[in-house]
Amino acid sequence: MKLVDKFTLCFLLIFFIVTPISIYSTHYSIKQRIDNVEIERLSAVNNEVALQLKSGISPDKYSQGRPISISTFAGNLPNEKTLTEKQNYDQGDCRITVSSFYNIKGLNYKVSSYNYVTQSGQILRGMLPVALIKSLLMIVAVLIAARMLSRNILSPFNQSLAQMQKFNLRKKKPLVLAESNTKEFKELNLLLKKMTDMAITEYGLVKEFSENASHELQTPLSVLRSKLELLADTDIQGDQAILIGEMQHAIEKMARINHSLLLLTKLENQEYEATEHISFAGHIKSILGFYEDRIQMKALTLTTHIGDDISLKIHPALADLLFDNLLGNAIRHNVKNGIINIKANHEAFVIENTGAAPVIPTEELFERFKKSDQCGESIGLGLAIVKQICELNKFNVRYTYRDGMHSLRIDFNGMAVANSAALIAQV
Amino acid sequence: MKILIVEDNRALASSVHEYLSRENYVCEQAFNLHEAKEKLLFFAYDCIILDIMLPDGSGLDLLNFIKEKHISGSILIVSAKGAMDDKIRGLEEGADDYITKPFHLPELNARLRAIHRRKDLDGSYMVAFNEISLNTNTFEVTINNKHLDVTRKEVELLLYFLVNRNRLLSRQAIATHLWGDYTDNLSNVDFVYQHVKNIRKKINQAKGNDYIDTVYGLGYKFNTHKYETGR
Repeated sequence: MKLVDKFTLCFLLIFFIVTPISIYSTHYSIKQRIDNVEIERLSAVNNEVALQLKSGISPDKYSQGRPISISTFAGNLPNEKTLTEKQNYDQGDCRITVSSFYNIKGLNYKVSSYNYVTQSGQILRGMLPVALIKSLLMIVAVLIAARMLSRNILSPFNQSLAQMQKFNLRKKKPLVLAESNTKEFKELNLLLKKMTDMAITEYGLVKEFSENASHELQTPLSVLRSKLELLADTDIQGDQAILIGEMQHAIEKMARINHSLLLLTKLENQEYEATEHISFAGHIKSILGFYEDRIQMKALTLTTHIGDDISLKIHPALADLLFDNLLGNAIRHNVKNGIINIKANHEAFVIENTGAAPVIPTEELFERFKKSDQCGESIGLGLAIVKQICELNKFNVRYTYRDGMHSLRIDFNGMAVANSAALIAQV
Repeated sequence: MKILIVEDNRALASSVHEYLSRENYVCEQAFNLHEAKEKLLFFAYDCIILDIMLPDGSGLDLLNFIKEKHISGSILIVSAKGAMDDKIRGLEEGADDYITKPFHLPELNARLRAIHRRKDLDGSYMVAFNEISLNTNTFEVTINNKHLDVTRKEVELLLYFLVNRNRLLSRQAIATHLWGDYTDNLSNVDFVYQHVKNIRKKINQAKGNDYIDTVYGLGYKFNTHKYETGR
């Protein structure tokens, strides 16, 4: 529910509770006032008559235009000096009768006069249509005003929201928020700005650290590797050779992990910007040539359907890295006498290979250090690099496994064009 | 061949020095830019191994210095960054090749030899040992002057052995040499085994001597003394 709707609803609820109460109290107050005025006037008439009686003048049947009834009665005077009676009539009138009691010259007199006033129902009936019109006007006004005001007042908030949605930590661009004179929004913006600025700084520091760490590790790794190479080249015994061999293997793994992490950092920093179109087919073919020996050694059957005229806007080094990783995986995780199918056109690149079923969901294999075979020889960064390259170039990548076939599909999302079209565009 | 090693890490510099000295190169070391400039002004070197990141400046500055002073000698850049820009800039500024840390010593040696072959005024592109000769231009191998039918990868492997004679080559070093520095070629060691097996078989069939020894647990060695009399 929108904020403005909530406010409107609350307001209407209050309105519907308050209105009947106010109608009732207004009505009651008006009625009371009319009745009281009449009662006072009638009492005054009665007193006038009593004064006439006192001075021995026999009053008229009408005094000051009011019908008067005078009667004597036996017994004591009642405690109340006046008595009021109200009687409703069908015509919408109400008759108020005021009786006053006097003791004049030893005789008890009861003087009564009456008059007609408007009935309370009538007053109510008069008030209701006005109240209804007022309510309707109020509701319409509230609905319209709330919407207009909220658009106005909440606009800095909505702008901040839109800016936050667009905010991307990786782009390292500080958040720019619209000015507002509302205290709460000012505070919110200040807080958002502070938070995002801090996030950008922290992110930068983390990146810088990992990059520096990777760089700084390269030299000690070189030292380790070279010293071990020199050691291995001396006259050593069999069991020592095994120890050195294992150390070399571990250093190799460390070097590869470091190299891959460094590469991922560079990819995240967008250090490889695509500047020109490359011949996609050419790159695949050169890498296929590179791996020819390994395909033969594993006796794999390779079928390729590669369109000749595909042009792709991607950094050439990334294109090589992408296909190298994919083809390398397809060979490594394949079985002896297995199959590799490669299909490529200007829409997508698909590489399929036979192999053991993955033990974890295929999508998770894109995560860093996730491997289908945890103790295996790969370091588990190949597909993370593939995904990063695809994201960088706005490609979609999907990994599926069905009927013994691993299938990796990269959709170019219209980033690839037929060569001829690219040439025309360049001219 | 006279070589200047410009590297601020003394441990690494000494490794390179030790490896290359045993290849009968004359090696000298400079641990910073200043020292390197001094040495370059007073002595002539055939090749300079240049680390990009030095305590008192960038190795790329030294490239400019070399160009300005018309100092001769091939340049092999060593960088921890592995960044494309450094590589391209380095090569544009006149470097002959580029290698990233952490490198294998035999790989460094092979690169040096390749640069030297290319720059050698004699244009000697033949690498030979006894009955084996290898043409680094055409990638042809002959055994006792008879053509040997080998694949490109096998030639590369044989060349790697020939320039690193009597040195232990680990499977990892061979894999990196054959398939490059790509991320996930740890498992390539199995393929190394296959390639070594194939080349040995082919040389045997051509009546050549099998100089390649398997060093248990570590890798392979091209043993030039294997068929010497008295051994």
